[in-house]
Amino acid sequence: MPICNPITLPLAAERLIPHRAPMRLVDTLVSVNDGCAVAESVLPQSTMMADREGRIDEVAFMELIAQSYAAFKGYMDRMDGKPPGEGFLVGVRHLEISGTAHAGDRLLTSIRTVAEFGGFAVVEGTVTRGDETLASGTLKLWLVDPDAARDDR
Amino acid sequence: MSALRKEIDASAMEALTGTGTETGARRYRFDPGFIGFSGHFPGNPILPAIVQIRAVVSLAEEESGKTLRLTAVRSAKFLAPIRPDEDVWIRYRRRLDSGMDLCDATLSVAGNTVAAFQLELAEGETPR
Repeated sequence: MPICNPITLPLAAERLIPHRAPMRLVDTLVSVNDGCAVAESVLPQSTMMADREGRIDEVAFMELIAQSYAAFKGYMDRMDGKPPGEGFLVGVRHLEISGTAHAGDRLLTSIRTVAEFGGFAVVEGTVTRGDETLASGTLKLWLVDPDAARDDR
Repeated sequence: MSALRKEIDASAMEALTGTGTETGARRYRFDPGFIGFSGHFPGNPILPAIVQIRAVVSLAEEESGKTLRLTAVRSAKFLAPIRPDEDVWIRYRRRLDSGMDLCDATLSVAGNTVAAFQLELAEGETPR
């Protein structure tokens, strides 16, 4: 008898992260490997992030990295037999935005866990469209202890 | 202009001060129906960090009368959550440093700094 159910990827991000529409920007967790993960997003023209020409606001890249890490963390929690925990973005370092995304683009966000300590995680992330890097940078996230009070931060 | 940008602008509580000075300050109040609270998070609404940064860029655009593009977040700290109906003061100052258009900004609630960041901006190519 298995200890826990295997989880097959790709998997809908909605099963792994607390974000919901319209603020859920990541669609699918594609792969996970040794602290790294890749998530996929296709933002529709109707997203609140798009202007009338379909151009996606640059701030979305930061959220894509944060949500991709959240999906990775949610996956790891589920692999451990726990419900996905919550996390909050608390810091950003050197997020460079070098390209522009448009509604309908297939965006892949790659994250790598650089460090985890004292309830915090430091994560490097890169958003790409095909071979083009659109944004990359380092985020710091606070991972909520599921046993702690919900409203604390 | 994106729906997010429109709703941020609609959440401004007063006119921009400091027009033409490359500094600015304005009070915002994001009501419970603000689009950025939708799904972030169900039953636990918190103003997303990207909304905070977008608000500063939009404020700088309005002050300068130019379309601006966010090219980097050099650093950012989000120190406390911003909840619906809180009065949020956004203050920023732009300056040139080695040819880079930098924007230092803080957000405060009830006199306490809840976020601080330094952005790099560039003039945008098309109207938003």
